[in-house]
Amino acid sequence: MNIRTPKDWELSESAVTSESVYRLRNRRDFLKTVGVGLAGAALGPRALLAATAGFPDKENPLYPASALKPTAYEYITSYNNFYEFGTDKDGPAKYANQGWKTDPWTVELAGLIRAPGKFDVNELIKKLGGIEQRVYRHRCVEAWSMVVPWDGFPLAKLVALADPKPEAKYVKFTSFLDPKSAVGQQDSYLGWPYVEGLRMDEATHELAFIATGIYGKTLPNQNGAPLRLVTPWKYGFKGIKSIGKIEFTDKEPYNTWQRLAPNEYGFYANVNPNVDHPRWSQGSERVIGGGIFSGRQTTLMFNGYEKQVASLYKGLDLTKNF
Amino acid sequence: MNALLEKLLRSKVFIWTLLILPGLWPVVPLLRHDPTVGADPLKYLLHHLGFVACVLLAAVLTLTPLRVIFPKSKLALALNRHRRLVGVSAFVYAALHLATHLVHEGGFGVLASDIKKPFLLTGLIAFTLLLVLAVTSLNRLVRALGAKHWKMLHRLAYVAAALAAYHQAAARKLFPMQVLWIFVPLALLEIVRLVITRRQRNRALTPSGAARTG
Repeated sequence: MNIRTPKDWELSESAVTSESVYRLRNRRDFLKTVGVGLAGAALGPRALLAATAGFPDKENPLYPASALKPTAYEYITSYNNFYEFGTDKDGPAKYANQGWKTDPWTVELAGLIRAPGKFDVNELIKKLGGIEQRVYRHRCVEAWSMVVPWDGFPLAKLVALADPKPEAKYVKFTSFLDPKSAVGQQDSYLGWPYVEGLRMDEATHELAFIATGIYGKTLPNQNGAPLRLVTPWKYGFKGIKSIGKIEFTDKEPYNTWQRLAPNEYGFYANVNPNVDHPRWSQGSERVIGGGIFSGRQTTLMFNGYEKQVASLYKGLDLTKNF
Repeated sequence: MNALLEKLLRSKVFIWTLLILPGLWPVVPLLRHDPTVGADPLKYLLHHLGFVACVLLAAVLTLTPLRVIFPKSKLALALNRHRRLVGVSAFVYAALHLATHLVHEGGFGVLASDIKKPFLLTGLIAFTLLLVLAVTSLNRLVRALGAKHWKMLHRLAYVAAALAAYHQAAARKLFPMQVLWIFVPLALLEIVRLVITRRQRNRALTPSGAARTG
């Protein structure tokens, strides 16, 4: 298990927040930078300035690694729903790594904001003050779950950078569109690119996170490189991968899964064991990597984050607004 | 049809082997330590067994149409000798699929909530039908029922197939194409078979009311 414990040589907080750029270009660069050491600020835009595999950046003490048992890296990276690369769980690991480039990558901030623009992902991460690690529960709507040690930054920081106007009530995320690289997008039936959305108060909530890595390693393509939304109190399909555009709007975004099956998937997608999927129960979940005899685990309200998020939905009928 | 193929198709051992092999297939990804399978091995097994059950159910239902459409074919004739074996094996895979579902969901208790969901309820009904058909395929019961009633009862196989197709279609978030590959050929064969049988019956009853020859 690659869970790290703080070591004496690790970067001081100021160094991490101002200089950590979380782009691991490829194995060669990685080996070079390990040799040079952490003072290597002059290694160039793509160089890894902070952590390497096994000992990420800075662990956010509010989301400690010790509290949850993380799922093995090999399962997180080979059991994926990323229909742009096929609808089988092993498709993304295969097809997302056959030439699809997620580096360099540009993200656009647009809509009802005062600071629109296009940003290179690395620049953006530097601007936002670097990377931290959070260990979150992950619950798929298909009733399986994982615990993922994400690396990334709070979405709230990105929202602050965009400087939304008061009319902005929602954040709409759009993924990439590249049918040449993503075989699943050649079939337009699902309506690409993938779209997701959050209410402003959900987007600025302390739990909302943008992941750039897992277990101290750069996010693999199949997990939604280079930027992926993580909202641990919602079903996994809310976690849009490979974000290309973040747009602030006053209209509730019509997210892809709601468009595909509005009676099964809604806008909120809050984990709720009391509201079943029409075809299966949401009362329990299968723990990925638990083995044949692990049995099932009871699903928690808001995936165990009820204390932190319940106030966002006071007065909202959660059965109607699923 | 060449002699070797004829010999093989006459051998019950050969047919048994063909029917057991799909059941052993899951060993392959397990030995390869395939992480996609290792992530949730019971789910993989569940989908695999269900898939095999559907294929075998569709397969057994194609046997009679093949014989009707190709009455001179030795191959069709040879395959038709194994209808009971293939049919019962469809039931066995369905039973293993249900057993895996119960283990995956943590016990018999899940059945109480299953029956409230159409997707799962159809699976249970299809399984029950296959159970009845498997039990009544024993020689003793075939004799007890008599040809006419046995034939009527075993028409339920078509109902089971339709329910299985729906159940399989509803099993993933999106409609899986494999449902079409499995059941459309069967549907087409059945249509052709019905047309042929209807035509034979009409030909037998000529306008002059001559005796039936079929």
